[in-house]
Amino acid sequence: MVMKGKMEPEVVEAELVLPSYLSFKRVQMYEKYPKGQARGRHWKHLKQIIQAENYQNYPPDEPNYVNIESPPSMHPCKRICDVTGFEAPYFDPRTNLRYANTEVFKIIRSLPNEYVQRYLALRNAAIVLK
Amino acid sequence: MIVPLRTTQRASSKLNVPSLTRLEGVVSVSVEVYGFLATGPGFMVFIAEVVESQEHTEPKPFLLFFSFFTNTMPFISKIQRQSDFNLFGSSTPIVIDNGASYFRIGWAGEIEPRVVFRNIVQRPRHKATGETVTIVGDHDPALMKYFDCTRSGPRSAFDSNVVFQFEIMEYILDFGFDRMGATGSEIDHPVLITECACNPVQSRSKMGELLFETYGVPSIAFGVDTAFSYKYNQQQGVCDKDGLAMCPGFTTTHVIPFVNGEPIYKGCCRTNIGGFHVTDYLKQLLSLKYPYHMARFTWEKVEDLKMEHCYIALDYASEARLFQKGAKEAEEKTRCWQLPWVPPPTEEPPSEEEIARKAAIKEKQGQRLREMAEAKRSSRINELENELHGLEFLLQQLEQVDDSDIPSFLSETGYVSRQEIESARIKVTQTLRKAKGEPKNEQADMEKADTTSNEKYSLVNIPDDMLTPEQLIEKKKQVSLKSMSEGRQRLKQKRYEEELERERKQQLEEEKRLENPELYLEQLRARYKDLSERVDQRKRLKTNGGHTNGNNMSGGIGRGERLNAAQRERMRLLTTAAFDRGKGEDTFGTRDEDWQLYKLMSKDNDDDDEGPDEDDAELARISSRLQGLDPTFVPKSETATGSSQLAEVPRIRPLTKEDFQIVFGVERFRCPEILFNPNWIGVDQVGLDEMAGVSIRRLSSKDESLEERLTSSILVTGGSSLFPGIVERLEAGIRMIRPCGSPIKIVRALDPVMDAWRGAAAYASAPLFNTQTFSRMDYFEKGEDQLRSYQLKYSL
Repeated sequence: MVMKGKMEPEVVEAELVLPSYLSFKRVQMYEKYPKGQARGRHWKHLKQIIQAENYQNYPPDEPNYVNIESPPSMHPCKRICDVTGFEAPYFDPRTNLRYANTEVFKIIRSLPNEYVQRYLALRNAAIVLK
Repeated sequence: MIVPLRTTQRASSKLNVPSLTRLEGVVSVSVEVYGFLATGPGFMVFIAEVVESQEHTEPKPFLLFFSFFTNTMPFISKIQRQSDFNLFGSSTPIVIDNGASYFRIGWAGEIEPRVVFRNIVQRPRHKATGETVTIVGDHDPALMKYFDCTRSGPRSAFDSNVVFQFEIMEYILDFGFDRMGATGSEIDHPVLITECACNPVQSRSKMGELLFETYGVPSIAFGVDTAFSYKYNQQQGVCDKDGLAMCPGFTTTHVIPFVNGEPIYKGCCRTNIGGFHVTDYLKQLLSLKYPYHMARFTWEKVEDLKMEHCYIALDYASEARLFQKGAKEAEEKTRCWQLPWVPPPTEEPPSEEEIARKAAIKEKQGQRLREMAEAKRSSRINELENELHGLEFLLQQLEQVDDSDIPSFLSETGYVSRQEIESARIKVTQTLRKAKGEPKNEQADMEKADTTSNEKYSLVNIPDDMLTPEQLIEKKKQVSLKSMSEGRQRLKQKRYEEELERERKQQLEEEKRLENPELYLEQLRARYKDLSERVDQRKRLKTNGGHTNGNNMSGGIGRGERLNAAQRERMRLLTTAAFDRGKGEDTFGTRDEDWQLYKLMSKDNDDDDEGPDEDDAELARISSRLQGLDPTFVPKSETATGSSQLAEVPRIRPLTKEDFQIVFGVERFRCPEILFNPNWIGVDQVGLDEMAGVSIRRLSSKDESLEERLTSSILVTGGSSLFPGIVERLEAGIRMIRPCGSPIKIVRALDPVMDAWRGAAAYASAPLFNTQTFSRMDYFEKGEDQLRSYQLKYSL
């Protein structure tokens, strides 16, 4: 139970805190999810949900969450400089970053590895150690 | 006249009329509103009069067309508790737009949702009481200071655009119904709730279960937000019954074709990119660009920046080139956010007077100190002189005293014997001489020593067997003393000789110089260069172990870097010794050199041999000589160390206003560009413009007139369609993928953010709405299969 008496007056005034008892509910939160019990608190992630849907058992022309996804693009990918966003004709094999001109090249060569990885992570190209 | 008006206020839904001070085309006016004529969805018409203006001088009443659903800052939370819940009959549906970013809830048939808040839950700890509490939605940051939010961030019930966390969903529904003013024992109203296109059945059934079992809702309808938005705009005459709805949302972007006013999910496509990704991209880019201000880029702030400044370029490449060239237009398009910055107190260089005054004060102080020291010294001399006089007087008196009476005479003075007084006198005399600063006259002492050496070391030359034991001890002492003093003498002699040698060398060199000054200088320089290189080399070896890594930044900075060559060698020896388990025959020790190993291992060989010191000394000598002869000469070691220090120690310069400026140039259109190029953030799917083509292809109608109808009624809706320039860009993009000459018409929804809720509210108020719902009974009887095939019919 939330003891509102102890809260600051402006917090109580704004009704910031969700009350734990609400009359319009048939089952209260504390009944459904008793404190200290992790049971029933696990929720399937989207990937697990999709797997459980067994879409392969249904006709392929029936639209579902998976098959409405867009395909990869047919156009060649526009390459932009990772740092400045300009068009990037060059690629640095050492850092794997794309760059626009010599000034940017100087910058990327002086970047610490952590920053290089963060730039790469922006386009999901960073080295991930598992 | 009818003047369209735009507000600059964020809270555009609050009709705060005096703040509407920006008329289109007019810089700044104040208006007085007489009353309003009409309202409609998204606009109001006022009669108003210009009271103050820079251009309109004559006051003249005019009609003011105020569109209060403006494109700037459309996301506003409304969380005031409603009081009229019980006034609605149980047949009035409650309409919920459950978007991934915002949750909107209200009554069917109304134009505005009653309660709007961000679809997030926080579970912070109340600081004063230590309780963990639940806070739904976004609140005044001023109130959040009472809570410790560091341990858990805001959480969402969504994974992508699908609800998966129904515990969080329950908190959100709790809060929504609570703020709607529900007080009864259950929610006795039909509920229309939005979901994503082709929502997985699991999510749909869990949502149904929650609403039926926990809230006691009598019946539910599920609809797609994009479809409701399209239908609403169709009713308003913005788009036709055949068309395409393009909806860039918060986490995903959908394109849904409509035929005869019904969405065709077969032709629908989804790219997993949305406003969330745009904000995240902007946030990341800014924190990489300004690492020092990282803490400034909170999610909310970046979201605001995105909505205020981002736009979509008609052609990314040419726009970027503009910025690359630093063109004037680019400069105008660059935005700058000045962070709060207080200029540091400026230190003015002290004036002449100031310097003079300070010098005077210093001089004065010095004078005083000198005087004090002088006074102290004179008083000490006085003291010593008095003591000396006393002692001399005592000695004089002792002359007149009998030998037998001496002890009794001296008992008062504290001295025991005459000798003691004598020695005290000598001591005092010496101290006095020192205090007065008289030279000790060492030479004289030396002479004396020389003359007296024979007496001093009287016993040295006498054979041992002629001496008593005491004398023997004495003799030993004398021998050692003598050898010491002789050694000192020799050292002095040697030093003197060295001095002579050096002088001779210098003279020789001087002669050489005079003989051919050019050649001499040349030689000197060559020698200097050679030496300095050698010294440098050794220094490098010592610090870096001769291991030069061209790029220290990317190279591994490990333990090896910190040890010098000798230390590393020692470590190697130790490890080999430690791990040597005697494979094969142990031959260690058969050769003498083997034992040298222990010497190397025994300690850090930090102490270098004599060579370097000599080199250093020689280098210093040559450098000083060169400095004397060649005015252009600059000692290399100094410049070298100077520059390296510059490189190592970051120069401390006072922070300026510019350091606290966040500049958006390319970022303004780079971030929303990911809607069109998702692969920029590693999502390998088609962008918004190509999605239209994909959607039409998937529909495979083979009916060219239908395709033309579709492309001539394209509606863009959803929160991320608010970026300026999106319509023009889409038109250009779609024109490229459609056959030449096909009609293309793209319109933006009346209110891309709110139309989904409005459409749903209008739909739920239709008399046939209850034919589209399913009840609790249906849910329990027919189960999931019915849910799977359940689909709303949007045209009633």
